[in-house]
Amino acid sequence: MSRFEESAPARGGFSFDLCKRNEMLVQKGLKPSSYLKTGTTIVGLVFQDGVILGADTRATEGPIVADKNCEKIHYMAPNIYCCGAGTAADTEAVTDMVSSQLKLHRFHTGRESRVVTALTLLKSHLFSYQGHVSAALVLGGVDVTGPHLHTIYPHGSTDTLPFATMGSGSLAAMAIFESKYREGLTRDEGVKLVAEAICSGIFNDLGSGSNVDVCVITKGKREYLRNYMLPNPRTYVSEKGYSFSKKTEVLLTKITPLRELVEVIEGGDAMEE
Amino acid sequence: MGDSQYSFSLTTFSPSGKLVQIEHALTAVGSGQTSLGIKAANGVVIATEKKLPSILVDEISVQKTQILTPNIGVVYSGMGPDSRVLVRKSRKQAEQYYRLYKEPIPVTQLVRETATVMQEFTQSGGVRPFGVSLLVAGYDDKGPQLYQVDPSGSYFSWKASAMGKNVSNAKTFLEKRYTEEMELDDAVHTAILTLKEGFEGQISGKNIEIGVIGSDRIFKVLSPSEVEDYLQEAE
Repeated sequence: MSRFEESAPARGGFSFDLCKRNEMLVQKGLKPSSYLKTGTTIVGLVFQDGVILGADTRATEGPIVADKNCEKIHYMAPNIYCCGAGTAADTEAVTDMVSSQLKLHRFHTGRESRVVTALTLLKSHLFSYQGHVSAALVLGGVDVTGPHLHTIYPHGSTDTLPFATMGSGSLAAMAIFESKYREGLTRDEGVKLVAEAICSGIFNDLGSGSNVDVCVITKGKREYLRNYMLPNPRTYVSEKGYSFSKKTEVLLTKITPLRELVEVIEGGDAMEE
Repeated sequence: MGDSQYSFSLTTFSPSGKLVQIEHALTAVGSGQTSLGIKAANGVVIATEKKLPSILVDEISVQKTQILTPNIGVVYSGMGPDSRVLVRKSRKQAEQYYRLYKEPIPVTQLVRETATVMQEFTQSGGVRPFGVSLLVAGYDDKGPQLYQVDPSGSYFSWKASAMGKNVSNAKTFLEKRYTEEMELDDAVHTAILTLKEGFEGQISGKNIEIGVIGSDRIFKVLSPSEVEDYLQEAE
């Protein structure tokens, strides 16, 4: 039947047509645009009662800071959170989508979501897009089987680790973890170590900066500590204020209300639909 | 819907202008177990009989009252398997709405989408109408709401409604007992008394199901022990 020959995009989803075109252009000698480094430091570690995730809050567009205080720790389920590095749109969309799927799954099964479920949904999605969805994730949570921490790479491979770092600041953060991590950390020790690792990324990597976000997940409870540390406050505020040179004349100051004050009549006729 | 050889609809008009398949579907609903809903001033209660085919059936595994979103629940009368399909579709639609608009779906919207699905099955090739009527109870910014959706796809907002085997007696009972200022607890008692009216056998926490949603906007199915407490208060 002829309708089976229609192209896939009619039903939504990724169209790989342009990727073929790009490959053809590269073969003809066109230099592809260089990859923008993913400016982020995201970390996670397992402590005695659960999992702690940490992230910096700088979003970059090449050399420019696009967002000084963005949220990189995404909600997946009440007991599962996910840090995202890479293209911000990809990490947001992917975590949003899997969070939706987990919610429906919870309704259908009547049970708490498991970290491995989120892991499998994420990795199968990323694998099917063959690395074109540029999302590198640190997934952590606590479910009935215990605390879990995983890393997911854009091509769809995963690791299960007791401590993990991703993003351009991952080496700086990993240096801290490798020297100071040990099993059975308490909550305060764990949070301190995560904050230290993120700070290391913030101060030593250009792609990471601003503040530290921390999320502590334990059995039955999670604490989202937004802006746990603010090591980069804006200290420079000019006290003199602004003064205009004497040649500047202020001609007229007039405030024109755009709309007359509207009186709300109680019990008036409802608008017809 | 409607692939292979059946691209024509099985629901066709009769000479008198009726869709006989939908009438039959309503008959199927009318022979199902009684369920009812009452909208109180500060919440909604929906309840249903849960008569199992044999004492050997494990009643904990059967749940007729289902949650669609944290603030919307549903109960049915008629064919259980058909209701499962609708519940699944409705949950997905509610989630898609949330993904698109980042706000929880209003009750009327979810009811409309479910009703649209039910209507599609009366006008597509190779499918039959659903053999269930649904009672959807929800609490959103417009307050507590109760809707009934029929196999034809029509839906109505009700202050109190009943469906299934004992519908006429139950509705008469509700008409007498319903007041606009009713609180949620009174509504639960009234619901229990209404179910008791046409109940064959001994009513208990194990053979009825009650779902409530109050001003906290969280839909909850009461546990058998909670139902027992209400039963004792209602006597």
